[in-house]
Amino acid sequence: MAKKLGGNGAARLGFLHQLEGHTDRVWGVAWNPASRSGGAPSMLASCSGDKTVRIWEQQSTVSSSSPSWTCQAVLDESHSRTVRACDWSPNGKLLATGSFDATTSIWEHVGGEFDCIATLEGHENEVKSVAWNTSGTLLATCSRDKTVWIWELQPGNDFECVSVLNGHTQDVKMVLWHPSRDVLVSASYDNTIKVWAEDRDGDDWRCVQTLAEPGWGHTSTVWQLSFNMSGDQMVSCRNAILGNYATTQCQKYFVAFASWPSDDLQLMVWDSTVDPSEWTGNGGGPWKHLCTISGHHERTIFSVHWSRTNGLIATGSADDCIRIFAEDPTNVASSVSFCKVLEKQKAHEGDVNSVRWHPKDPRLLASAGDDGVIKIWEFEQDL
Amino acid sequence: MPGPQKRSSLRQDDIFDAVVDLETSLFQQGFDDGFISGVRLGKDEGREVGLKSGFELGEEIGFYRGCVTIWKIALERDSTLFSARAQRSIDHFDEQLRAYPLTSPEDERLQDLLASLRVRFKAIMAMLSIRLDYSGYPKASSAGEISF
Repeated sequence: MAKKLGGNGAARLGFLHQLEGHTDRVWGVAWNPASRSGGAPSMLASCSGDKTVRIWEQQSTVSSSSPSWTCQAVLDESHSRTVRACDWSPNGKLLATGSFDATTSIWEHVGGEFDCIATLEGHENEVKSVAWNTSGTLLATCSRDKTVWIWELQPGNDFECVSVLNGHTQDVKMVLWHPSRDVLVSASYDNTIKVWAEDRDGDDWRCVQTLAEPGWGHTSTVWQLSFNMSGDQMVSCRNAILGNYATTQCQKYFVAFASWPSDDLQLMVWDSTVDPSEWTGNGGGPWKHLCTISGHHERTIFSVHWSRTNGLIATGSADDCIRIFAEDPTNVASSVSFCKVLEKQKAHEGDVNSVRWHPKDPRLLASAGDDGVIKIWEFEQDL
Repeated sequence: MPGPQKRSSLRQDDIFDAVVDLETSLFQQGFDDGFISGVRLGKDEGREVGLKSGFELGEEIGFYRGCVTIWKIALERDSTLFSARAQRSIDHFDEQLRAYPLTSPEDERLQDLLASLRVRFKAIMAMLSIRLDYSGYPKASSAGEISF
């Protein structure tokens, strides 16, 4: 059950751990979705400019004090260039890693070991983002070659290319699936966010909506997206879009896209309640702009993530800060609005490239930076 | 400035007309000569450019047609060669190829249809796990293209 942490009292982001080991900037972190499920310890994957992916595991959580983290594995020799993105499959058994060498590797986690079971080729240049859909059957990848590829997991851990999506006119920065529907969202350097859905009659995918118009779109690069827990709101950060999908909880908002850090330093929240495949085509598109959060970031926002557990939005930015936003409880207007809950300066000694909330524990946040380290934080707020 | 000329029915032009209109008529003559010359040069250049792009387009479409022909023959020999999805994709690609307006150079959809053919071809290559191209094959990132 989503528990909103967000009282009105003072909020703090306490530093818990620092994970060192990478020898170049860390581009992304991803919590294994099985963390803390059925007694399993928390596991984190990180990908870096040093061409490796590291797997970190927290030791048993029996004691009340925060147990330590160790590096379980270093996945190297698979990519010949920077590993730019990593994402776990929903059951936590597979890890997809996208690299500047234009390939995506799939790793299988079996008994503490990680084996590379597949390499997906097809993109013409740097892969920027990888994302699994909620059922773990489809994987999306996007690249500087302006295309988005959708792959289907076949029996025997084979991957078959389902479709190549054309439409963006520039580098595609991020892809993300809706939490409950097979609807894909892509964010690009061409300042648009595109929503893709499968044709009812075939295995062709087409763009059902482009979020770009002034007034309800970004005017510069959309960097990341995140959906809220239910998927009915998405946040984007221009230069960041956040989209979080939410479950059918009390959350009515839909995902706000936090698109890749925006150069216009804004977060935009979008209403993503309507199923794009049921859209009849009137009035501009199924998803609508809800609100814009601006004025808080001084430099590019590189990452946005909407927690599935506590309803908070975290952002990581080029000014080395992490900021947390929550829905404004004092807002009486009919539309939704967000307010900043806290700002953590000098969170990293360099750009904060990625922020990710823990899938189960509403207090934990992981961040990755240009300083080559990963930090684990604990969020607390007085009521 | 001479006043309005009265033209007598016996004389077509005033003797001053040629002088007065000299600049204008010379200009006009030059313009006409230039225009004719330009049209000729333009046609020649246009023919060259047309030949070049026509050739490139024909080469690409022909390449795809060749690939589809081979794949179809292979499938006839062994229908289990490619996955069901790959076969559907090849069929769809074949239809798109046949519908391509090769003989209407003024068709506005030429570029878009070509882009969608290219993308489908890439997807089929991935499905069949092959990589095909020829020396003139267009790539998304052409040499010299910079993006930040």
